[in-house]
Amino acid sequence: MARTLAMFTDTSLCIGCRACQVACKQWNELGLEVPEWTGGYQNHAHFTDKTYRLVRFVEAPGAKPNGDLAWLLMSDVCKHCAQAGCLDACPTGAIYRTEFGTVNINQDVCNGCRYCVASCPFGVVSFNEQTGTAKKCTFCNDRIHNGLGPACAKACPTDSIQFGFRDELVAKANKRVETLKGMGFKDAQLYGADSGGFLGGLNAFFLLLAKPATYNLPDNPKLPQRNVVVDSLLSIGSAVLVGLGAMLAFRERGKGGR
Amino acid sequence: MLKAPGWEMSIVWYFFLGGIAGGAYFTAAIADNFGSLRDRSVARVGYLLSLPLVAICGVLLIADLGVPARFMNMILHFKFWDPMSIGAWAVGVFGGFTFVSSVLSFTSSDSLASLRRKISLVGMLFGFFLAGYTGVLLSNSAMPFWGDSRLMGALFLASGASTGMAAVALIMFLSGGSAGEGWHKIEVADRFSMIVEVIVLGVFLALLGSAARPITSGHFGPLFWGGLVGAGLILPLVLNFFGGRVRALGAVSAALVLMGGFILRYVVVMSIQG
Ligand code: SF4
Ligand code: SF4
Repeated sequence: MARTLAMFTDTSLCIGCRACQVACKQWNELGLEVPEWTGGYQNHAHFTDKTYRLVRFVEAPGAKPNGDLAWLLMSDVCKHCAQAGCLDACPTGAIYRTEFGTVNINQDVCNGCRYCVASCPFGVVSFNEQTGTAKKCTFCNDRIHNGLGPACAKACPTDSIQFGFRDELVAKANKRVETLKGMGFKDAQLYGADSGGFLGGLNAFFLLLAKPATYNLPDNPKLPQRNVVVDSLLSIGSAVLVGLGAMLAFRERGKGGR
Repeated sequence: MLKAPGWEMSIVWYFFLGGIAGGAYFTAAIADNFGSLRDRSVARVGYLLSLPLVAICGVLLIADLGVPARFMNMILHFKFWDPMSIGAWAVGVFGGFTFVSSVLSFTSSDSLASLRRKISLVGMLFGFFLAGYTGVLLSNSAMPFWGDSRLMGALFLASGASTGMAAVALIMFLSGGSAGEGWHKIEVADRFSMIVEVIVLGVFLALLGSAARPITSGHFGPLFWGGLVGAGLILPLVLNFFGGRVRALGAVSAALVLMGGFILRYVVVMSIQG
């Protein structure tokens, strides 16, 4: 595997211009959608089969250092998890890990079973009715294989989205957290940068200005497939019970079986 | 933040009929291997019932795909830890077993009958699998409630057993085959399964606690408590005790169990689709 690539989204630099969201739509030819009324500036409410980058507008009372309402911005995207629920769920092998460590869906293989949709801890994958396949951020697979960064990172005017080698970006991100803490942003923290942390680390990781829950992110997302052995053993236990019941019911009395 | 997969009625039917197919087959296999010669009618009904049901399951599974023509992609790619992948495999393999067992259920030759019994001992494992794997599939997703439930597979399996046996009993009743000793045995077997199901459901709810709210309260609450727990489990269990003597009560019990099995799949699948 080549050196792992990553995207670092520093939400403290985001100005909510949505250049990333538009650049993503344009590069990936994602087409129009009917806008939604979300009660604020955010549009759309969720990732869709035509929205892979989504700037979230979060109004958080009391989250500013001085106790004021914080208007938080976060350009969200598929996390390209090191342990990816979508990838483990996919029965066709359409979802694969690239040599750069990113997670991609091969549109020519996906058969639209939608198990990945239910298996992403972040609600990223979306089903497209027209193609009958699952869609999500490709980490601009075509661009990174031609020496270009993702379209969103390229378009971002404030460098809120940075693209590069993961180890370098994590080092940079850690320094940035220290700077922000020094400026009084006491809740400044990285999300998914630690490769020893949840899901083996996210290859698209974030710098947040408040707790993950404020951004509607899970504090400690877990791999959905972690219980498959336990659940299977418990099912086998249930099978043994009903099987024994049936054997008792059908057994030839006196002979103890056939 | 999470996103539901959009699995709806065809998946509810798939889970329900798959449970019956698996349950009817392993019941037949057990009756065939451990019962008497007189239990062969039970075995034959079970084998013959599982064959069309698993065929319907295959059709439902394929038709629900976004690109049905690419169904083979999930057969060609084998992931042994992935319920969706081995599930698709198991439907196919199990279908083969139900076919062979159904054909051999008409034989009058002793050697073929003993072959059938041996085959069904292996096929039975796939029957158990088909009845239970759908629950494990749900409990290994990221969705709330589904992903929180460690006993979803065990519950679906017990329900597959009770509905499979109920379907066999109902067919025997309707076709006039409820006179013999086989009827009594299938009633007793179904009773065991219902008791297991009640216990598993109780532990399932206790372990989930408030995470079970999508089915225990709100829109689906009345259907869950009234349709599944009350009319689909407790009532048929009570009726079942009289079903040995008053056969019509046994048949009503079986019909209620089938209804309960459907409601179980329905509330579990639909409550998460928001
Ligand atoms: S965020 Fe979701 S879609 Fe993206 S890699 Fe992780 S599990 Fe897959
Ligand atoms: S919908 Fe496509 S990408 Fe998603 S799990 Fe199914 S086959 Fe894989």
